[in-house]
Amino acid sequence: MHFRIGRRWLAALLAATLVLVAVGAYLSLPRSYLLMATTTSTRDTGLLPYLLPEFSADTGVQIRYIAVGTGQALDSGRRGDVDVVMVHAPSLEDRFVAEGHGLCRNPIMHNRFVIVGPSADPAGIRNATSAADAFLRIANASARFESRADGSGTHAKELELWTAAGLDPASSGVRYERTEQGMGATLTIANERDAYTLSDDGTWFAREPDLPYLELLFSEDAALENPYSVIRVNPAAHPGVHASQAVAFVRWLVGPRGQSLIGAFTVNGHAIFTPDGAGEC
Amino acid sequence: MTLEFAGISKAFDGREVLRGVDLRVEAGEVFALVGPSGVGKTTLLRCASFLLRPDGGVVRFGGREAPDEPGAALALRRRIGFVAQNPCLFRGTASYNVSFGLCVRGVEGRELEERTDEALESVGLRHLANAHGSKLSAGEAQRVAFARAIVVRPEVLLLDEFTANLDPANVAQLEAAVTAYHRRSRATVLIVTHNLFQAKRVATRAGFLFDGRIVETGGVEGFFTNPRDGRTKAFVRGEMPY
Amino acid sequence: MAGDILGVTLLSLLVCASSTLIATLIGVPLGVTLGLREFGGRRLLRNLLFTLYGLPPVLAGLLVFLLLSRGGPLGGLGLLFTPLGMVFAQVVVVTPIILGITMSVVATMERRVKETALALGADRRQLSTTVLREAAAGILTAVMVGFGRAISEVGAVFIVGGHIEGQTQVLTTTIITDISQAEYGHAIALGVILLAIAAVVYSLLYRLQERTLP
Repeated sequence: MHFRIGRRWLAALLAATLVLVAVGAYLSLPRSYLLMATTTSTRDTGLLPYLLPEFSADTGVQIRYIAVGTGQALDSGRRGDVDVVMVHAPSLEDRFVAEGHGLCRNPIMHNRFVIVGPSADPAGIRNATSAADAFLRIANASARFESRADGSGTHAKELELWTAAGLDPASSGVRYERTEQGMGATLTIANERDAYTLSDDGTWFAREPDLPYLELLFSEDAALENPYSVIRVNPAAHPGVHASQAVAFVRWLVGPRGQSLIGAFTVNGHAIFTPDGAGEC
Repeated sequence: MTLEFAGISKAFDGREVLRGVDLRVEAGEVFALVGPSGVGKTTLLRCASFLLRPDGGVVRFGGREAPDEPGAALALRRRIGFVAQNPCLFRGTASYNVSFGLCVRGVEGRELEERTDEALESVGLRHLANAHGSKLSAGEAQRVAFARAIVVRPEVLLLDEFTANLDPANVAQLEAAVTAYHRRSRATVLIVTHNLFQAKRVATRAGFLFDGRIVETGGVEGFFTNPRDGRTKAFVRGEMPY
Repeated sequence: MAGDILGVTLLSLLVCASSTLIATLIGVPLGVTLGLREFGGRRLLRNLLFTLYGLPPVLAGLLVFLLLSRGGPLGGLGLLFTPLGMVFAQVVVVTPIILGITMSVVATMERRVKETALALGADRRQLSTTVLREAAAGILTAVMVGFGRAISEVGAVFIVGGHIEGQTQVLTTTIITDISQAEYGHAIALGVILLAIAAVVYSLLYRLQERTLP
């Protein structure tokens, strides 16, 4: 009798656990949807909630995504945990394909990087002649600069520009700060600390209303283009990927429907993406 | 069942407490073990109740040592009862506590209820059967602990200063309960006490533990009025410092 | 929006309740057994458990991620980016807490309780059940602390779940992404829901705990 009461509790606990785990298992059945890995920047532009439902409506293929750092997005492809990868880091993408994890790069669109900073613009980059020149001016003024420092496409572009300016940011007089976070967080920090930073225009325009102390100061330079591609994970290397769904997705993105939708997407009134799909590779 | 200690020795942290205790309690007798505080009476008792393993010597029950095989050892353990100085009641009512040992042994239903009732009645606490253990007075709690120990009809009953902290009314109640149980069951009772009057009231034989050994044993009448050994004499006269 | 909030809340409840229950079913019996046993390596085990109390959920999440990834040893199960995978990760985080506290409660329980049960003839299983019953209040505390960890952690469920819309978004991961998108109002609302859940669960557990005290 004494020991049976204990058994009643145990039975109840077991029953509750089994029910919950059964529900969990049902929700965890092998996925039927296409899974994409993309970057936090892409998510932060707001493009995906606009674009992806159109794709599903047109093709009947369900798609979901994880939004992580560029490095992790490509790594998910390397591990075969996702079917398709959408990032904006050309050199890393080339390596991904060369390693055999991705089939080939399908360019789909580009937006721009913009250099934003305090409205007072102490470094005077509004009048810069190029992006590299803007960075030079920031160094000369010993202004504060927030770097994402997270291996992302934006970070890669930022480093490219420092090199183009012939500077090592750590030792050039710039008050260089490494946030090691995504674009949204880095912009918030720049806003709080009156700093310059490099951002993609999508995130900038989406967040602009919440960043009262920052302004877009420089953007006119072809070097600031930020090209996006979508890459199918190689089915030969990862047999479990949803290859046919991935094909449907890529075709739709580079096709007339996807491309026109991309061009029509605006953030707070700004059309930030320029479609440049050139057919399926 | 006879209870025999043969050459029991036990040391704690290098300090020798028991140095070769030899004692034989005959089947069905009530034996009082007396001695100064801290001399090792409780230690000896715990050796007999499987709570402590002696460093040397053996304890024999009915002439045989405790078996190694766990099933047989458990069976033997279940024939021995132990009541400690302070009652440790389980979370629950008095009758939950008393029926514990019965449940352990698989007794249930009507038999369990009746025997629990009977045991509580034997300590005069039938009216508190549904009282929660924490609400009982010290005396009532100890009476429940006693009922809990005897409800399973142990053949050997070990009592460790079990009325030490109680008022005279409860002491009398419990002594009567021991005597009644002994008469009903003919169990072998070893009662450790420092109350010489209690020893005289309840036991038929007594022994004096001192300096790690049994100094002397004898029938209760002669033992307390005219002990042989000088140390025993000093103790019963109250001349030995506690 | 309201639909998402409900879905996100329900999934949080499902994942955290599952992981706490599983961690309890594993941790309590183990904790009682280990707490009762006098064995040589006990100090070492206790130190290991104390270290695991501080196991950052993000680290547990990373380890489980590497296990469940397609390329990893348990990749064949297909649990990465699923609710069950998230439960698995949380079980890793919560079990040491429940096990450790239970073990502590049982080990420091007055020796007399165990001795009394033994003197009354309890065998090993009956002793464990008795000890469990006597330690009920302490064990419920262990469960409360464990659930608190589960409902509030974000690292493990984010890394293993992937915060996929309609699939693996829970309250804590949504709060994080809301913040990164400056949706502070939404984040606070979700935070309030989370606190409300905690309040309800804790009041139920406290009620249970009160019943175990005299």
